[in-house]
Amino acid sequence: MNVWPLKFRPTHDGAILFADDAGGFFRSDGAFLDRYALGALTGSDREFLSANGHAFETEGDLDHTGFAYRWASRQAAAGDLAYVILVPTLRCNLACSYCQVSRADERARGHDWTEETLKAVIAFLDGLKTESIKVEFQGGEPLLRVDLLERVRAFCRRRFKSAEFVVCTNLQRLGAAEWAFIDAPDTFVSTSIDGNVATHRAQRTITDDKTEEFFSNLDLALERLGPGRISALPTIDVEAPPPAASVLDTYARYGIRSIYLRPINYQGFARKRHAALNVMDRWNAIYREFVDLMIERNAEGGETFEEYYLVHCLRRVLRTGQDGHVDLRNPNFLGRDYLVLDHDGRFYPTDEARMMTRIGQIDLSVGDIFSGLDTSKLDALNAHATNLFDPDCLHCPYQAFCGVDLVDDIAREGRIDGPKIHTDFCRRHTFMFDLVFELLYSRDPKVRRSLAIWAGVPDLPYSIAPEHA
Amino acid sequence: MIPLRFKVDPLPVDEPIVTRLRAADAPDAGPFDAVFLGADGPVSEFDLAGFPLRLHDAPIEDVEDDVILVLPGQASAHRLIRAASPHNTLLVTERCDQLCLMCSQPPKRHHVDMFPHFREAVRLAPRDVYIGLSGGEPTLFKEDLFRFLLDAIEARPDVRFHILTNGQHFEESDVETLASIPHDRVLWGIPLYSHVPARHDEIVVKPGAFDRLMRSFAILARAGAAIELRTVVMKPNAPDLVALARLVTTRLPFISVWALMQLENIGYGRKNWNDLFLDTSAPDAFAPIAEATDLVRARGIQALLYNFPLCTVPAAYRSLAPRTISDWKQRYLDACTTCSARGACSGFFEWYPDDRGFSGVAPL
Ligand code: SF4
Ligand code: SF4
Repeated sequence: MNVWPLKFRPTHDGAILFADDAGGFFRSDGAFLDRYALGALTGSDREFLSANGHAFETEGDLDHTGFAYRWASRQAAAGDLAYVILVPTLRCNLACSYCQVSRADERARGHDWTEETLKAVIAFLDGLKTESIKVEFQGGEPLLRVDLLERVRAFCRRRFKSAEFVVCTNLQRLGAAEWAFIDAPDTFVSTSIDGNVATHRAQRTITDDKTEEFFSNLDLALERLGPGRISALPTIDVEAPPPAASVLDTYARYGIRSIYLRPINYQGFARKRHAALNVMDRWNAIYREFVDLMIERNAEGGETFEEYYLVHCLRRVLRTGQDGHVDLRNPNFLGRDYLVLDHDGRFYPTDEARMMTRIGQIDLSVGDIFSGLDTSKLDALNAHATNLFDPDCLHCPYQAFCGVDLVDDIAREGRIDGPKIHTDFCRRHTFMFDLVFELLYSRDPKVRRSLAIWAGVPDLPYSIAPEHA
Repeated sequence: MIPLRFKVDPLPVDEPIVTRLRAADAPDAGPFDAVFLGADGPVSEFDLAGFPLRLHDAPIEDVEDDVILVLPGQASAHRLIRAASPHNTLLVTERCDQLCLMCSQPPKRHHVDMFPHFREAVRLAPRDVYIGLSGGEPTLFKEDLFRFLLDAIEARPDVRFHILTNGQHFEESDVETLASIPHDRVLWGIPLYSHVPARHDEIVVKPGAFDRLMRSFAILARAGAAIELRTVVMKPNAPDLVALARLVTTRLPFISVWALMQLENIGYGRKNWNDLFLDTSAPDAFAPIAEATDLVRARGIQALLYNFPLCTVPAAYRSLAPRTISDWKQRYLDACTTCSARGACSGFFEWYPDDRGFSGVAPL
């Protein structure tokens, strides 16, 4: 019998988690680790490893084929470019505390697409191979240029078999034209609700008038569009987080049950200052508090909550082919199936790359709409777009579930070839997967209840989390 | 029951004839079509290339566009394809190399090569039909079967096939042929009863069947074939379901769907009913099915319950139980008269034994 290589990591409660390259996993103990390392597996070890999919007899037999299939379906295959993030203006009618670099004043000039840029954007879209497109409008506040949005949308509806639009808007000032734009059934609204009313005012709207304007527009939007077409996420200040219960209550009030918790993404000097304050540990503690509260609430019956990214990580552990989230997949090639197009016509591989370029940290633009994609720069980046050969990831049991975020590594570490385990990305995902496995192996019925909801089954059996003594 | 044969006044022919029954005014009637002339009491009369074709108890509104087979000298016509039905199955052979304890169609030695007729029938089939091929064991005539499939999918890009096979006869040398069949055109329905080789072998009554099947699965996987894994849930294998689910997630992650099926009381299934039938509506009896489906579905593999009356399934699992019993052999019980779920419910096989069946049938 041949056993596929196993990677391992101690768990919070003294066991050892083992996983293979295809994402098969189980828990055991130090004695098994010794037997495995010394090549002294017992008959019952072998029986377990075979039944749990970690072994095969001969190349090409069913165990070998099943493993190969699972491994292969965990590799993200980037399709044609079919998702574009467009920034038609950098101007905004709010000045949120955490967003100084990614906006310009509402009255400023020179921060919008020109007529020439719009024409080039449309010609670019026209040249895409895909038949189905997703367009996300970002800003600034994109609805300040609802005229440009209308023209892009009208073109896409004509040009593609299917087209879907998302507007990332602060829902502040909505006139007839703006409402008409978001009323369309192919158009979705993504907005920010920073936890509760008080935090939202402190971080975003500042004045009573603007706060009132936002929340009444949100009410109206829910009424007109229904909750299925509105998503929202809170940006959380690690130094002044709103109470978890008030955030859940606020979101529940708006019928939004999937919450994507995000810490304020500090840039430049602010980032350095906050790094010293051990933001990561504090964030993880806040995050954990939210998750625990969701688990409590979900056990009470009635409407349920999920933390979007935790559920995504859970599904990546349990299933293959969960590559819909561009921040967590492997390999994660840049500039392939999605692109960001800035107000000045420049392309970026991700939104964070746009931000970093804007603060002058490094130029991560990859060409522009007039002269095309800079493929040599993309190729240089993409040489590092997989975790398959990374010396740290190779030994990590989470490798099959994890991914790569090159831009984040550059942003925080200044390089993409340093030791992975020191990166922010790795620490964040080690925390996430530690949490996923802690929950998967939990015997707490409340945890089981939430896991079942998040995994989309009536009940999640203990047998999903194998243990080998 | 919907008839699969009609009484026919014997035709003065020496060769079997496959023809399509057309309405009197069908504008595109071709040379192989039998065109309706009129009703003579219970007899529908058709013009078949100048011969009178007389079918008994076959009103034109029920049989329009059906494809039938008339054999020389025989007094009955076989309804090969019913245009109005989503369930059309062609019987490739009655031979089989297994003797499954629950077989609904026990094998016979007898074999007639029907492929030439099936070829005709597919050509005449209505648009977008889904045709089942079954037996006996169709792959006992694997070369003929492959040739038939390759021709048919080329001749009729709209037609799809569902083939029931015991998976005992695929070889490494078939990979190329299998791979040339597009994934969405043929679904191979293959039974597996247990993760324990000996138990599977006992149920299909063929030593070595499990190991042979595992080899075939690897071959089909390499060819990218679409597989519907079928497990009839019975007393002997119900305790194995959870371990079988684990086998599905590790060794068979490439299947399209795992179908857990209730027993059919016919053929050997009738003879062995008392030993095999598991009343899954009894308290706790559904538990292994629940756990097995939860396990594979949490891991992203589709699982469905075939032939389960809805009221015998716990509410949280009813969405997994589509209406699967073919219309021509399906019925409801008295209890169903007042049931609000009837339209979505599989109901029962025509030959379901009311007195030895589920204890938990009650209208929803
Ligand atoms: S980045 Fe870190 S958590 Fe992710 S696979 Fe690599 S070592 Fe593991
Ligand atoms: S009462 Fe009859 S129709 Fe209703 S769910 Fe039960 S079997 Fe189906």
